[in-house]
Amino acid sequence: MDSNNDEALDIIVTNVVATFRTRCHLNLRKIALEGTNVIYKPEVGKVLMKLRKPTITASIWSSGKIICTGATSEDEAKLGARRLARCLQKLGFKVRFSAFKVVNVLAVCSMPFAVHLVNFTNNNRPIASYEPELHPAATYRIKHLKATVQVFSTGSLTVTGPNVQNVATAVEHIYPLLYECQKPRK
Amino acid sequence: MSAAGLRCPGCGSSNIVDDDLYCQAQRVCVDCGSVVSEGSLADDPIGGSDVSYSRTTAVTKKPCLNLIKGLERVKEICRILRLSSEIEDLALTYFRQAYVHESFINVSLQRKELLAGCCVFVSCGQRDWPITLGTICCLLNADQTLVGGVYQEMMKVLNIQAPFINITDVIEAHIQEYKISAQHVPEELAEESEALTKRAVALVELAADSWIVTGRRLLPIMMAATYLAWQSLNPNKHRIRFPLSKFCQVAQVQKRTTATVRITELKQALCKLGRELPWIREAVTENNVVRLVEDILDHRHTLLARALKNHEKAKQDDCTQTDSSNPLTGEVAPSQLSESRDETANASSRVQPCPQNSRENPEGDVDDDHQGEDLEPNWGKRVLFAPPCVIHRKRRRVEQPVQNVTGDEEISDSEIDSYIRTPQEVRDFTLMQNMVSVSDSGKA
Repeated sequence: MDSNNDEALDIIVTNVVATFRTRCHLNLRKIALEGTNVIYKPEVGKVLMKLRKPTITASIWSSGKIICTGATSEDEAKLGARRLARCLQKLGFKVRFSAFKVVNVLAVCSMPFAVHLVNFTNNNRPIASYEPELHPAATYRIKHLKATVQVFSTGSLTVTGPNVQNVATAVEHIYPLLYECQKPRK
Repeated sequence: MSAAGLRCPGCGSSNIVDDDLYCQAQRVCVDCGSVVSEGSLADDPIGGSDVSYSRTTAVTKKPCLNLIKGLERVKEICRILRLSSEIEDLALTYFRQAYVHESFINVSLQRKELLAGCCVFVSCGQRDWPITLGTICCLLNADQTLVGGVYQEMMKVLNIQAPFINITDVIEAHIQEYKISAQHVPEELAEESEALTKRAVALVELAADSWIVTGRRLLPIMMAATYLAWQSLNPNKHRIRFPLSKFCQVAQVQKRTTATVRITELKQALCKLGRELPWIREAVTENNVVRLVEDILDHRHTLLARALKNHEKAKQDDCTQTDSSNPLTGEVAPSQLSESRDETANASSRVQPCPQNSRENPEGDVDDDHQGEDLEPNWGKRVLFAPPCVIHRKRRRVEQPVQNVTGDEEISDSEIDSYIRTPQEVRDFTLMQNMVSVSDSGKA
């Protein structure tokens, strides 16, 4: 992936958030009664359902909108969402699996060097911002990719973006900028 | 025309007509001429004007009261912190500029007060008089996250930059707070603030080199450095046994709980350097390192170079692959420190492929459930000084990887049935819920 270094960077996707609609009204009480692994939150008006096989937590609203979190890849998120839709179908609702969209992907990555955050921020203002008293990481927002990268001084990165491809591109984009601000690890 | 149902209070007749007096609506009795009722002369909207104060022309004639109050608050804060008039003027300018911006004109009074504090903070930073954000939070008695939010908003609005605060700049001001000079405490506990500052600054620089400062809050580190500096300036038995809580009590400062952790970390770093002292025969541990602090700090750079060299040597002895072109030769003088640091860095990066091959993963760009991560060399264990978060790396929960998931696979019925209660279970559950609610209402 990286043409400018000889070691490949491991980008580990830790969370994928996806939404879809069932195009029908859902009776939350019924789901809470007849479903296992279900937590009903009447004060918020939603039901939390946890699946086992792809470890996914879904927030189900009565309007039929469902948000799935916890998957580790886009395909896994889709599988989990479909499984959930089947489950609701079996419970008796006229579910149609539609408008599936991956909304957010969170990934972590580790640079093989430490980063001098002050230099990095000074070189990349105003795209990068660093407030050491508020948060120990420098935030770098890549507008055209709609991705946010948080750089820690140890060289660890946290990347969030709308899909896995953007996340990978964001890491590629930021690598040279970090490379020139590296701190030799004693 | 007559208004039905109305009777004149004077003569009782019902012959009442609408007869406006210019713009004022009035109802008049025809027979006796008395005014039965009248409308309002002016049409002032109920509950105040529809146009908010900030959009009226009154703004130019009479300045906003809250703006005046805010400016007073800025002056107050500057006076409490005893800042120069230059900083005060700059803060007032920033406050005026930010106040009229749309992000701050219609916000709550609390946020406007936080804005005042942030303006002072930025002005101090720009005029080379650094104070910490924690100080501002204390003064405003506000949560650091709130202050941080207002601060970032303000920086965006004003489009200015503040220089980064170096801990060595702030520590002098911090030590001023400690009432530990001869006039406040008995002779055996007293220390002059200049000596204390000098020692603490050296300790803090050492901490910065050994990854103790990066990413951490400033106050606990400064407290730890001050405490250790105080102990090491006169390392007798009494002082070494003096706990941090008592020290804070004597010096009349509030103790920070994380300072104890920082003290341990600082002592560990000092031990690593203390072991390199050539005249020490016994083992250097956290208990006896305080006596050696003065020597360690005086020869800090040499000891650091030596420690790194010895660490490299020990690593190369352990490693199966020998690196023949070892750039480190002989004694390293303090003046050649930067070169030696680069050399050790190069040596360590060359040695890096030695223990593991699992990282050479050609399709390593997006690897889900990467089990090789557990075997990945923890760079914290390979170098002498590393941040504690790397040394004690959290073990990521390694799940069974779901192989070759495409998202469009068949979902079997049995899988789905495991998520649905059987009718018997549903009946049992409802029964139990009823019983629980009955017993709850019985108790209530």
